[in-house]
Formats: sequence, C-alpha cells, structure tokens
Amino acid sequence: MSVDACHGAEHLLQPYLDRALTEAEVARIEGHLRECDYCNERYIFERRLREVVRDCCCGDPVPVGFVDRLRLRCCGQDDVA
Amino acid sequence: MLLLADTLGGMAPSDSDSSPGSVQAAAARERAHFEEEALAHAEHLYRIALRLTGSPQAAEDLVQETYLRAFRAWRSYSPGTNLAAWLATIMRNANMDELRRQSRRPPSEPLDEQSDYYLYNRLADTGREPQERVLARLSGSGVVEALGSVPENFREVVVLVDVGDFSYADTAEILGIPIGTVMSRLYRGRRLLKQRLAELAEREGAA
Repeated sequence: MSVDACHGAEHLLQPYLDRALTEAEVARIEGHLRECDYCNERYIFERRLREVVRDCCCGDPVPVGFVDRLRLRCCGQDDVA
Repeated sequence: MLLLADTLGGMAPSDSDSSPGSVQAAAARERAHFEEEALAHAEHLYRIALRLTGSPQAAEDLVQETYLRAFRAWRSYSPGTNLAAWLATIMRNANMDELRRQSRRPPSEPLDEQSDYYLYNRLADTGREPQERVLARLSGSGVVEALGSVPENFREVVVLVDVGDFSYADTAEILGIPIGTVMSRLYRGRRLLKQRLAELAEREGAA
C-alpha cells in the first residue's frame, strides 16, 4: 500500500466517522480500508475510541426534577417585543 | 368592553371569536406549545452544558438561563428550522457571557501538527497490552476529566459534535464560524483529547 494512499485515508478518517464525506470519498476510503490492514486497525481503534468517549461523556444522569424546575422558572414569562 | 370580552370569553369560549381576549389566548397557547417543544431538548442541552461547564449545578444554571433567553425571544425562532441548534446557539452565547462575567478568558492552545493516530501510536510504543484493551480500561471520570482539560475553543466544538451530535453545518451556525474552522478545531480538539487520554492511560496503567 502506498504511503500516499494511507496518508489520504488518514485525512478522510475523521470526516468519515462523522458521516461528513461525499459518496465518492466514502467509496475511496472504504476501498482503502478493505485493502490496508495498517489503516483498518487504526480505523477500528478510532471508532472504538469515539464510543468510549461518548459513553463516558453522555451517560450522566439528569438531576431529579430538572425539567419541572425549568418549566416552573422559565415558562409563561413576558415576551420581548 | 375588553373586560366584557374577557369575561364572555371565559364564560363561553369560542374558536372563531376574534376579540382581543381570544387573540391573546391564542398567542399564549402558541407560546405554551413552543415552550413544551423547546423543553423536549432540555436533557440534550444539559449533557452539552455539563461538558461545557464541568459541574451539574453550573450546567443546570446554564440551561435555565438558556430557556429564559429562548422564551423571551421565542418569536425570533423560524418554525421548521433546527430547534436544537437554535437553543444550542443561545446556550453557547450564554456560556460565553458567563465566562466573560467571571473574566475567565477561555485559554486557547496552539498545537503543532500531529497525527490523528497519536493515541494509537503512543499506546503501541509504550504499552504492553493491545490498544483496544487500554481503551476498555479507561475510567469514565478520567475521560471526562481529559475532555474537561481541553481548552475551551477546541472543547466546545468537540462537545457539540461528539456529545451533542450536531453536524458540522449546525455547529458552524451555533458558533458563528465557517465550516472549515469547525473542522480544523474539531480535529485539533480531538488530538488534544488523545494526548490527555494517553497521559491518563499511562497514569492508570502505572497505578
């Protein structure tokens, strides 16, 4: 696998995981990942890392009564003209 | 007259009535409907606020300030556009105002060009166990702390995309910056996070 192809794949990897690539780019990186173990191992690691960060940073319980307090304090006030 | 209309309205509500009382009532209903629609995003906003502020109390205060501002300005929301992004924009501005009020200038950090594979490679260099296993071993509080230590200007982008699940385009709108800037800050922010995670993995591995 050429260094250029791997470099190109590294460049596309973050937007690929963010689902922000065009179809042509998706085809390019997926084709490369199928053929290149070096990049595919790193892709799997990056994907897993995202899951770990998301699980750790999104799992906090919302405080009890949170939405009720918002409703009480914020709803039914006057508009700003 | 107005009093009479209100009284009559109270006694005999009618949908087709266009007296001032019923116009007001319709506006109030419209607003109440908007409020409930907006409140459906409260928990989503709370999780973002928690990662922006770092404490449950500060996060709750920030979300409350966000809804106060949002409901005051609710008529400036264009129905059919992304309500979560509209609320997140207000929250981001409220957070910046609070940071300014506390005169904590959010620190920004220059970063040398570094590979996206930093963490993977670093763990490969130093670790005795497979990288996947190191990831599984990271403590939740350690990861939260690592994200919290990423400077504000990078962290807010990472939080909006990775915690808030906003697209690049929504994030650009929320922050009022071009999409290209979102991408460069996001990638740099994630690289900084990986540096912190590598340090964490080594600390926790040694412990």
